[in-house]
Amino acid sequence: MITASRITKTYGTTRAVDDLSFEVRPGVVTGFLGPNGSGKSTTMRMVMGLDRPDSGAVTIDGKRFGDLRWPLREVGALLEAKALHPGRSAANHLLALAQTNSIPKSRVGEVLELVGLEGVAKRKVGKFSLGMSQRLGIASALLGDPGVLLFDEPVNGLDPEGILWVRNLLKSLASEGRTIFVSSHLMSEMAVTATDLVVIGRGQLIADTTVSDFISSNTEVTVLVRSPGAVQLADALRAAGAAVQGTDDGGLLVTGWDAARIGDVAHAAGIAVHELSPQQASLEEVFMDLTSDMVDYHGQTPAEV
Amino acid sequence: MTTATVTAAPPLPAIDHGHAGLGNQVVSEWTKLRSVRSTWICLAVVVVAGIGLSALVSNIEAGRWTHLGLVDRAQFDPVRFSQTGEFISQFVVGVLGALIVTSEYATGSIRTTLSTTSKRTTVLSAKLIVIGAVIFIVSEVTAFISFFVSQAVLLAHGGKALPAGSTILDQLHSATIPVVGIASDGAVRAVFLCGVYLTLLTLLACALGFVLRHTAGAISAFVGFLLVLPLVVSILPSSFSGSFERYLPSNLGLAMILVTSRKTDFAGVLLTPWVAAGVLAAYAAAAVVLAGVLLVRRDA
Ligand SMILES: Nc1ncnc2c1ncn2[C@@H]1O[C@H](COP(=O)(O)OP(=O)(O)O)[C@@H](O)[C@H]1O
Ligand SMILES: [Mg+2]
Repeated sequence: MITASRITKTYGTTRAVDDLSFEVRPGVVTGFLGPNGSGKSTTMRMVMGLDRPDSGAVTIDGKRFGDLRWPLREVGALLEAKALHPGRSAANHLLALAQTNSIPKSRVGEVLELVGLEGVAKRKVGKFSLGMSQRLGIASALLGDPGVLLFDEPVNGLDPEGILWVRNLLKSLASEGRTIFVSSHLMSEMAVTATDLVVIGRGQLIADTTVSDFISSNTEVTVLVRSPGAVQLADALRAAGAAVQGTDDGGLLVTGWDAARIGDVAHAAGIAVHELSPQQASLEEVFMDLTSDMVDYHGQTPAEV
Repeated sequence: MTTATVTAAPPLPAIDHGHAGLGNQVVSEWTKLRSVRSTWICLAVVVVAGIGLSALVSNIEAGRWTHLGLVDRAQFDPVRFSQTGEFISQFVVGVLGALIVTSEYATGSIRTTLSTTSKRTTVLSAKLIVIGAVIFIVSEVTAFISFFVSQAVLLAHGGKALPAGSTILDQLHSATIPVVGIASDGAVRAVFLCGVYLTLLTLLACALGFVLRHTAGAISAFVGFLLVLPLVVSILPSSFSGSFERYLPSNLGLAMILVTSRKTDFAGVLLTPWVAAGVLAAYAAAAVVLAGVLLVRRDA
């Protein structure tokens, strides 16, 4: 369990995190979603006791980071994949970490195998690709077998196979009863990985919900209708109380009604229908709508992804 | 690489007593130190430059003996020549001391390090203990080997060991190159303090690394402290600089390796060896305290 209570963090004149409160519960993957620069990494550093909030507090299973007795055994984090001494081997990197918390050396091999790096254990990490560094970072986080895990954009730099692997790993770690807090600036990634969702923009909480609630409460179903009698059908639908808009190519967009109800109205009016297709706003669109006035760097929004 | 199937690692047996402490961090810092090549390069330079340069300088000085006047012969200091390599080594140990901290700031891995302990000062203490112990051992061994090698060089040039208890005057009257035994007055202390000097400078550089967090900044500050500060002091009015000079790190280093009975050209200007060591230790301690305060207060 991670609990953030009204944390605020300002760097100079930048308010990176603004009066943010949320809870991350064990047993499910919780996505931490926000555009670039919205304060996700800052929040995670505060959880790990690395940056001190100006006000408010963060606890891990009820304890502040500074009160943990064996930190690596209680909370593991992948914050920056490339934060490694390039001249040190993966095995030595993990060994040095293990020794800080009396974790037996044998564990190093186990986590390397878990992330698929056992073959490059002795290789210098400076030669690792970003994807391999991400895997090593995940191995570091898992070293102490902690109940609480934080991952900051863990799929950056991974190939599709690696992304799938991370997704499954996160879910299986959650199913073991761990608290999993994973950040991303991609709604689509969170939709397939997370159960719960904490959404922020400009450091402020936008939503603290489940992925399915977030989607259903923020997406309006529209149905695209094509009919040779479009004009009459539009009139009939409006008469029945539906909101109808014409599209450029002669179709109709009906908002708030499902396809069956529209079909019934058409049938009753004796109008042929050639197409009835529900249109769901993509998750990315929902997310962008919600955060559009909160994006600091428009060039880096998820639009291109 | 693995496929999409996930197999969890076996669970780790829990520990229900104690906490991650200084001992853990010390072991970890030693692993980090020994597992990068730059450490071994720096240590090799300390040993090779220490012994090699000292032997070379002893060789050159011995070769000049027949051309030396009386005053120069009186000041011919076989102990000091045997520790000339210290001049190079002081920069090398400074770089290593700073690097074990600033390399972590440069990559960001300091944040990984600090998230392994709930008390940040254990990281500072562990780094100081490990680098301090390694440099102490290496530089003491180097200092003593340098001493013996240099005396052997002087002997090879026809030098003669002065009888125990001989003074500057005896050296003056003796026609041969003076060679000293390790048991002679002040020799052990001078050689030992040479290692202490390098160790204290290492600790100082390590602390500067925590304060400045950048390799270039920390090394510049360290070199400035050793080389630039004396220049600054030397351009002050002499009535003023005279009282400061003895506290300059370079002069403290000199004071530490001088054998008291040979202190002819510096008599009265330099502190006594142990006091000089104490002052240098105070500088290092001040830097360490500042490092500790900043490490705890600042964001990582
Ligand atoms: N150490 C820091 N110093 C100054 N500004 C920072 C620092 N860390 C983050 N910021 C600023 O805080 C804001 C939030 O950044 P960050 O937490 O990295 O966002 P995210 O991880 O969501 O992309 C950004 O405007 C960023 O420039
Ligand atoms: Mg970030």
